[in-house]
Amino acid sequence: MIIFVLEEFDLFTQGKQRLLYSLLDAMQTLTSHSVVIGISCRMDADQLLEKRVRSRFSHKKLLFTPLTTDDMQRLLEHLLYLPTDSSLPSDYLKEFNSNINNILSDNKFKEILDLLLAADNSISNIQRFLYQAISSMHFQTELLTLDDLKSAFSYHQRQPMLDKLQDASILELYILVCMNRLESREQDSYTFNSVMKEYKAIQDAYKTSDNYSKSVCQRAFEHLIERELISFANNRLRNLSVEYRPVRLLLSSQELYQSLKSNASCPAILQRLLNYETYR
Amino acid sequence: MAKEEGIPLSPGRKTRSSSFSLSSSLPQNHRTFFSHTHLELLHGHCHSEESISLDTLTSSLPGRKPQIHEILRLIGPLNSPMLPLLLYGGPSTGKTISVLQTFRYLNRPFVYAGCRTCYCPRILFNSVLRQLLIHEKNAGKGSSGARRCEKPSEFIDLLRISLIQVVNALRERNLKLGSEESDRGNMIYLIFDNVELLRLWDKSSTIVPLLLRLSEILKIPELGIIYISSSSPDAYYLCTGSIEPIPVYFPDYSLEDLHGIFMRNQSNPNLYSSFLSVVLKPFYRVTRRVDELSVAFHPLFEKYCDPLSDQCLVLDEAMKRRLFDNLQPHLASSLNDVFWVPSWASHQLKQEGEHRQKRFWKSIRKEASNELDFHMSMSVKYLLLSAFIAARNPATLDASLFDSSGGSNNPKRKRNLQTSLDKKDNMAEEILLKGPGSFPLERLLAIFQCITSVAESMVEDDHFENDFAIENENFRLTSDVLLQLSALCNANFLCKSGSCPLEGSTRYRCTIDEEMAVKVARSINFPLSSYLYRR
Repeated sequence: MIIFVLEEFDLFTQGKQRLLYSLLDAMQTLTSHSVVIGISCRMDADQLLEKRVRSRFSHKKLLFTPLTTDDMQRLLEHLLYLPTDSSLPSDYLKEFNSNINNILSDNKFKEILDLLLAADNSISNIQRFLYQAISSMHFQTELLTLDDLKSAFSYHQRQPMLDKLQDASILELYILVCMNRLESREQDSYTFNSVMKEYKAIQDAYKTSDNYSKSVCQRAFEHLIERELISFANNRLRNLSVEYRPVRLLLSSQELYQSLKSNASCPAILQRLLNYETYR
Repeated sequence: MAKEEGIPLSPGRKTRSSSFSLSSSLPQNHRTFFSHTHLELLHGHCHSEESISLDTLTSSLPGRKPQIHEILRLIGPLNSPMLPLLLYGGPSTGKTISVLQTFRYLNRPFVYAGCRTCYCPRILFNSVLRQLLIHEKNAGKGSSGARRCEKPSEFIDLLRISLIQVVNALRERNLKLGSEESDRGNMIYLIFDNVELLRLWDKSSTIVPLLLRLSEILKIPELGIIYISSSSPDAYYLCTGSIEPIPVYFPDYSLEDLHGIFMRNQSNPNLYSSFLSVVLKPFYRVTRRVDELSVAFHPLFEKYCDPLSDQCLVLDEAMKRRLFDNLQPHLASSLNDVFWVPSWASHQLKQEGEHRQKRFWKSIRKEASNELDFHMSMSVKYLLLSAFIAARNPATLDASLFDSSGGSNNPKRKRNLQTSLDKKDNMAEEILLKGPGSFPLERLLAIFQCITSVAESMVEDDHFENDFAIENENFRLTSDVLLQLSALCNANFLCKSGSCPLEGSTRYRCTIDEEMAVKVARSINFPLSSYLYRR
């Protein structure tokens, strides 16, 4: 009995589906026992098949549903408990497992778990979270504590966009604020030159100490593109230089506002510029 | 490089290893930032180099201590399986060097493949397989020779075979070890650097999921994979639910970290730290990247040390004040430079002596930057200017600007020009947004002929009492001009744009900016501004 297992079955349905057709065809004509099992993340994978392939398909679908809460509990126990027949000393095993038991029944843990699963309740998410917790287990106590789980949760909940904004230099923040102002005026497409015009207008109005030349601003602009905080609006005009290609912001005003507020070294004028339209 | 009998090696050629040993003799100012380069580290992982302690690791990489600890705890102790890691952070934040140094400290076998040097899938696959082969050899097993692969499917098969062989070889070697040799563990680690470049490759839709799901596809518990990327993890979300790598974030360096980094390996720490206290904060507002800051600091530090006769002096407050005053004017101009290229004029000044006052130096520097640094022939300059004019002016203006006699000396023509200019108020806005337009070859040559005939007549008028002969041949439309056109294209002053599908003629774009055009015009006394359309 030969079993063919095709993973990511939907990728086989691209193009002419020659492999699928010949495989399913061979199964019908040959006398040997063989089975083709396809695994896919797409619910409509069988709809992607061509007519001739679908007619040879047996239309049997097995649906794997996401975990219920009971299953989740069983999964956690399976992942966290040490097996009783392992080679470790038995009193350590008992201590570890009873500790895990206490944690699993703790309310705070249930809260953390709910928050974690609210965003993504797939098994890989839980695995990653538990791996981070286990790796931060303290070597002296050799037990998993709730603090480990809490710190793993905070690592899990990083927001890359806000981190990137914290890393931007002051000049880069100026450019982002200028772009935000241009977007809030509903200019459809704007280029680096328009951003520079806005920047110069702000410098003329406020006379800050951050007045830099065009080449320095262009370098900061290119940094922002590298970090993917802004990007080119379309890829067609690739031959033009950076100054003339239309760009757009990849973050929302809310994120920009939040990060400016939490940035200690950000000049107060930037927050004001975000809020107010005119140069007051 | 094979040494053959009787054929002497020319003295200019150096092997890579010899040039690395020379690097330690360079003066302190030019010492590279890290004491070891990547190449040495990579050689080290194959041969047994002496490993470093944890303190050396954290002290050699200032500011990266929390990240190193995070990596260490996620990799775990010897022989513990791990989930894949993704280290991400901005450029020049020390990701690659941290990982490589960490592995030197851990002394575990690893394979390093950078997606910048291995720029297509075939090279990436072959590099990984070759390094695994070296590990097999080191672990004592003979190998069956290099394997090459082209397709991802072959790569997976060959990789699985190689990995299993390496793991078995390592296990056998560890069993046979005495107590004096260190146990390098049973695990092997793959490090992929610059993973964000994968998305720009041709076959990115297959390569990116392949590499990111490598651990799941291979299912070898002794394999650990680490990805290093400049983009954040949300650039790599695959919608097919595999185990995503665990992200480790490398933030940019803070002010204190930068101070620590720049203070390393300085011959005179006091002097340099007083220099940094002046210079670091203003530059920190512009950029935080170490490579850009070091490029900017290097010439500034030389200027800072200029007045000091004896560099090993201990500084007091008055001295520091003096040095700061000396540096102050250069600071402002350096903040507005992207990089400082020493021009020919400034080299001359250096040779003549250092007795210039700072005022004079500044004015000299300004003048030097107003002139062209390289030499171009007259016709090339005219060609470049005509390209600039063609790019900046809308085509409909040509009739009013140029006529067969050249120039806009005619008052009636001037009036016409003014009225046509007034009608085109939106043009300047558009030009500012869309950039200089493209122009066909015929228009470029027409403008070239017009301005050179003007120049000829002007030169004849002004200089006819002088003796020097004017080369009329330069200004006629000969094949020389077309040759120079292609030379300009090669030098990237002009570039070919898309050709019009109806006419089929090629169009060009001018890539120089106004500053350079003004310099060129000034060098031949050409009135550029009278030809340019300005709002």
